Amino acid sequence: MYDLHLTPEQLEFRDTVRDFVENEIKPAALHPDRLQPFEKPLLNDLVDKASQMGLRTLALSEDAGGAGADGLTSCIVLEELAAGDVDIAAVLHHTSLLAHALFDQLLTASQRAQFLPKFAEDDRCHLAFAGRDPGAGLGWSYHRAPAAEGGAELAAKKQSNGDWLITGSLPFVANAPIAKVFVVQVRSDAKKTGASGMSTLLVPRDAAGLAVGDSPEATGPAIRWHQGTGASVTFKDCRVPADHLVGKEGQSPLADGMLLAHGVPQMAAINLGLGRAAYEAAVDYTKIRRQGGRNIIEHQAIGGKLADCAIRLELARNMIWKAAWAFDHPDAVADRSLPGLPLHTIARVYTAEAVNEVTLLAAECFGAMGVMRDMPLQKYVHDGFVFAHAEETDDAAKLGIAEAVAGYERPLAA
Amino acid sequence: MDFSLNEEQRHWQMESRKFSDEELRPLSLKRDQIEGGFEPWNWEIIEKGSRLGFRTLAVPKEWGGPGADFVSQALVMAELARGDSAMSKAFSQNWKWSHLIAAACTEDQKERFLKPFLANHRYVMGRGITEPNAGSDNRLPPEDDPKAGFRLRAERKGDEWILNGEKCFIANGSVGSLFFVDARTNPEANIKQGGTLFMVPKSTPGFRIGKVFNKRGWRFYQNAELIFEDARVPHANVVGNVGGAAATSKGDNTGGDLFGDLELAANALGVCDDAVGMAMAFSRSHKRAGRYLFEHQMVQLKLTEMHALTEALRSFVMRVAWLHDRKETSANAGLVMNYSCDVIQRVTRLNMTVHGAEGCLMNARVDKLVRDAMVWTHLAADTVQRMKSFRKLSGKKASAGISGD
Repeated sequence: MYDLHLTPEQLEFRDTVRDFVENEIKPAALHPDRLQPFEKPLLNDLVDKASQMGLRTLALSEDAGGAGADGLTSCIVLEELAAGDVDIAAVLHHTSLLAHALFDQLLTASQRAQFLPKFAEDDRCHLAFAGRDPGAGLGWSYHRAPAAEGGAELAAKKQSNGDWLITGSLPFVANAPIAKVFVVQVRSDAKKTGASGMSTLLVPRDAAGLAVGDSPEATGPAIRWHQGTGASVTFKDCRVPADHLVGKEGQSPLADGMLLAHGVPQMAAINLGLGRAAYEAAVDYTKIRRQGGRNIIEHQAIGGKLADCAIRLELARNMIWKAAWAFDHPDAVADRSLPGLPLHTIARVYTAEAVNEVTLLAAECFGAMGVMRDMPLQKYVHDGFVFAHAEETDDAAKLGIAEAVAGYERPLAA
Repeated sequence: MDFSLNEEQRHWQMESRKFSDEELRPLSLKRDQIEGGFEPWNWEIIEKGSRLGFRTLAVPKEWGGPGADFVSQALVMAELARGDSAMSKAFSQNWKWSHLIAAACTEDQKERFLKPFLANHRYVMGRGITEPNAGSDNRLPPEDDPKAGFRLRAERKGDEWILNGEKCFIANGSVGSLFFVDARTNPEANIKQGGTLFMVPKSTPGFRIGKVFNKRGWRFYQNAELIFEDARVPHANVVGNVGGAAATSKGDNTGGDLFGDLELAANALGVCDDAVGMAMAFSRSHKRAGRYLFEHQMVQLKLTEMHALTEALRSFVMRVAWLHDRKETSANAGLVMNYSCDVIQRVTRLNMTVHGAEGCLMNARVDKLVRDAMVWTHLAADTVQRMKSFRKLSGKKASAGISGD
């Protein structure tokens, strides 16, 4: 059955968030005084307001106190938020995704009882995932066994009393500056490599031995290039009790990368939202700007560009929603409704390219104002470039798609 | 066909390459990362370059300038832009108007303005055409709307003209000593017949600088509002004839359109050379999955594309410069300018792809090149600029637009 109807709840959700963005987020996020400086600190007040509206616990089940949004609904909402501010959307997305995974799927009843109340009651309780994406950069080993990994990894040693002692450092953990609970991937069995021998531990922010470092800066020889907020995290003999282990020792439920995969259509939805904001700004402006004897939207040249934007945004949204729906309906590949391809990667890669083009086309409609820092278009262009040139959207991602197309099964690392 | 450079051209290329590598490049990122619109500017580097002839390069030898030909000018612009695109533009912006002074000014005007320009290492110039309601309309005046285009009003009062209105985004606006300003002397006629070009020194009573624009790219380069409140300009500062503004840029290759077109294309070439250099060096020294980027096919294809596009642009730029030296006009200047936008944006973008983001960080210079390249969209190749090229190709008599940012 092919049904593109949104439910009344989804529509209401979308409208509510859209109003919140227009009335509260845009005036702050797009104010010239905020747009001009290179540094743009997270708009914490607005994150808090959004949390109070339930957007921090979007995907958390209603039983646990959330909105119970499925992946597709999350995509709808995150697109709206991102049309206001990409960073606010990213922060809320990470917490929501992790909350659903932990409290609805992975934690034991007693762990839920220990961690959920604090999380649910505190609008500022954000979560962070401290671990590497196992699929990151694998495409560079196209049709070969993966090269020996050099990336940073955390290690944990079980103590005689069952406690875990974590050591190591990760250069960038999303949400680290604001997280109160870290979901930490550690290598608990040093004799194993790759995805096996990994464990997942919950670490409260105030645990001794956990230090959150500085966030990347917008100036310097290398500049901040990510959405949301993040920082390095260092563990120095950081101790957590045995009951902080999530799932089985050495068999981390997150080691296969599926949690992060579920987040991919949602990050693509955030990407889409910024593109839509740029496009809508261009449509509004070209309807009132007069040059060449008429409102410029009436010139073929401008109409052509807006059509190119509309086409790309519609296609991106189609693919994002399809990928999100596929995760919400895992049987759809087995029953042959959907192809056995990484639809989420296709959605991410296409959206990144498409939105980058949309922001540039939209900026062109504004003439010189497209490069002026006190106006939003240049920020949309910048945000579009950040998505389009990320570790996850470069050639490695495309090669991952190619391997799926080829039916390639990667042997384990040597 | 002989593509070799003569001795003088080679001299300018080597001199500018040295200055670019030793002086511009070390300052480039530092200045670009300073907050604000005016703050990235730096007079010392302008003075340094001026002493080597880069500020006055196009002034003819008979007036005491270096008198470099167009091929040399193109080479210099590219070399300087390889170090920093905005700094290169800050220098070459002055050549445009020295072409104009040499071609269209009276001897008296040359005395009064060319001399101080030559003597003072900090004397830079700009042209005020654009206004909040007149951008594309100046470049491509709509035939069915004669009132379109700039509205800054100039009214004769005895031996003076009284100017009222404003210009925006004016290059060198915040730092210029002299501006060529297009004003409407006849609001009933179109800008071709109703516009007049005035020389407005900074000290003109009733004239002041307004907002200095803070830009995403070309941050060193200055763009500002010029505000005229009953500003008094002597009639002796009219360039050419009253009602002859368009004539000063129509078709000639000594100022306005055609130099400006070459200028942007040559500057783009330098940026592309920088991007290609960065991408090659990075891919030779960084690995993915145990092999140098250089060895990955996906990267090789990009590097090849970057080279091919850059070389094609180089050939086109140098050929147009050569045509200018022979005083041959064609649609090529506009076309190379349009093309340079496509090339610079593609090449800087591929450089960003080759580098990639590592650990949620991006190489700042890689990002700077992409940001600088964005300026080409509205200066060199928006749809109006491309349609202007079409006008030249179609043989249609150009309803003379006015350009020259």
